[in-house]
Amino acid sequence: MLFSFNNITYTFGPGHSNQIKVSGSLAGGEVLVVRGPSGAGKSTLLRVLSRLQPCLSGEGFLNGESWLQMPGSIWRASVHYIAQKPAVFDGTVADNLVKPFEIRAVNGKKAFDPGLAKALMEKLLLASGLWNQDARTLSGGEVARLAFVRALLIEPQVLLLDEPVAALDDKSRKAFYSALSDWLTGLNRGAVLVSHNNDDLEFLHRVSYLDLANRQEGA
Amino acid sequence: MENSTIPISNSQLAFTVLLVLITGSISSVLRLGLLKPLIWGTVRTFVQLTLVGYALTYIFKINNIWLIILIVTVMCYIASKTAAGRTPNVPDHPLVLSFLSLMASTYLVGSVVTLLIISPDPWYSARIVIPIFGMILGNSMNGIALSLDRLYSEARTRSAEIETLLTLGATPWEAIRDSVKEAVRAGMTPTINSLMVVGLVSLPGMMTGQILGGADPREAVRYQIVVMLMITAAVAICCLIMVGLSHKKLFNRDGALQPFVLQSRK
Repeated sequence: MLFSFNNITYTFGPGHSNQIKVSGSLAGGEVLVVRGPSGAGKSTLLRVLSRLQPCLSGEGFLNGESWLQMPGSIWRASVHYIAQKPAVFDGTVADNLVKPFEIRAVNGKKAFDPGLAKALMEKLLLASGLWNQDARTLSGGEVARLAFVRALLIEPQVLLLDEPVAALDDKSRKAFYSALSDWLTGLNRGAVLVSHNNDDLEFLHRVSYLDLANRQEGA
Repeated sequence: MENSTIPISNSQLAFTVLLVLITGSISSVLRLGLLKPLIWGTVRTFVQLTLVGYALTYIFKINNIWLIILIVTVMCYIASKTAAGRTPNVPDHPLVLSFLSLMASTYLVGSVVTLLIISPDPWYSARIVIPIFGMILGNSMNGIALSLDRLYSEARTRSAEIETLLTLGATPWEAIRDSVKEAVRAGMTPTINSLMVVGLVSLPGMMTGQILGGADPREAVRYQIVVMLMITAAVAICCLIMVGLSHKKLFNRDGALQPFVLQSRK
């Protein structure tokens, strides 16, 4: 099993008034789609799984290794979360793509490959002219795709994607899913996806579901 | 005769009441509502400074090293309390950390100045140590309040960037580094700026005091140079220690940002 989480109990919503307990798992090449109405704690689940937010109890495993055995920073580089509205750093698009390689956890693994970065941008329909553009001036859809390219470059094993196509038009949405499917064919890779648009899932090959419909009130 | 203090007698001091009357009448004519704080402030100035005058006379006379250490430590405590209270962006007043960083920088820089530069006899002479350490503390106190407040407000405004760095595998230090730099810069800027204009706009208080006290201005200037540079060094060290120690409080055990950084300021 590539990735799994057992009895993760976490709180979410206004004043942490809701509590929920979930388990799930992900085999290599698979996408786990988290479904549920707004306010069901989908985004919070992704943040908990990336250890950006603590949970009350439960444990996550990557390749059978518990997250208790791993520093948060190492875990997050492998189980990489992309926010619904990803942040960009000061500087050009190129600066943004190089930035992760200034981090030791990433830099120790590999060096920045501009050729690969440009190829991925092209795949996601990001024009090559954007390379030197100030990243702060990008549109929401461009930022979403930039964050995806930035994520693929650091070679995570699990992607936690929070509505990655919400800001994309039909064409770039297709491009996104095709890039995601290609990436998933690599060894030991998987994704946990929160999406409101179920039509998109036809682009993906191996999909399983996690439903967060049951809202439990009170702590 | 020219090189000595002109003493101010009690009756001469009483004339300062004239100055208070001027301020008081401005306040009451314009209804500034400052009359009460003005009177209270005037009384406190007289009482506090008179007491300090007697206390210092006594302390200078017995000149005991343990008493001096005790006084400087109490000064550090009061300064850290004041500094910790001046940080609206920081939720829990970091009294212990500000005390530690003020103690470390004050004793370090103050000892260098008294032992190596001024080297009075004995080296712990209260007449030198207490004013020197006091000046260091006064400035460091402002420095840490500014830099700590900036650290927290930077972390808040940049929280999305910091979290993105964390998701890319950054350690807390790697994620907060840029904010730390800004915070130290904010703490040091007033001191560095004062180096630029010193003597041009106004004469610094210590130098003025020495000149009024009958010292040769050329001598007073030399002291002032030592004081300015010592303050700069102390502020730099203090801000660095303070921010270096407190940036960890922004993160939890998993190295992720604490919830209060992500929420609106309360």
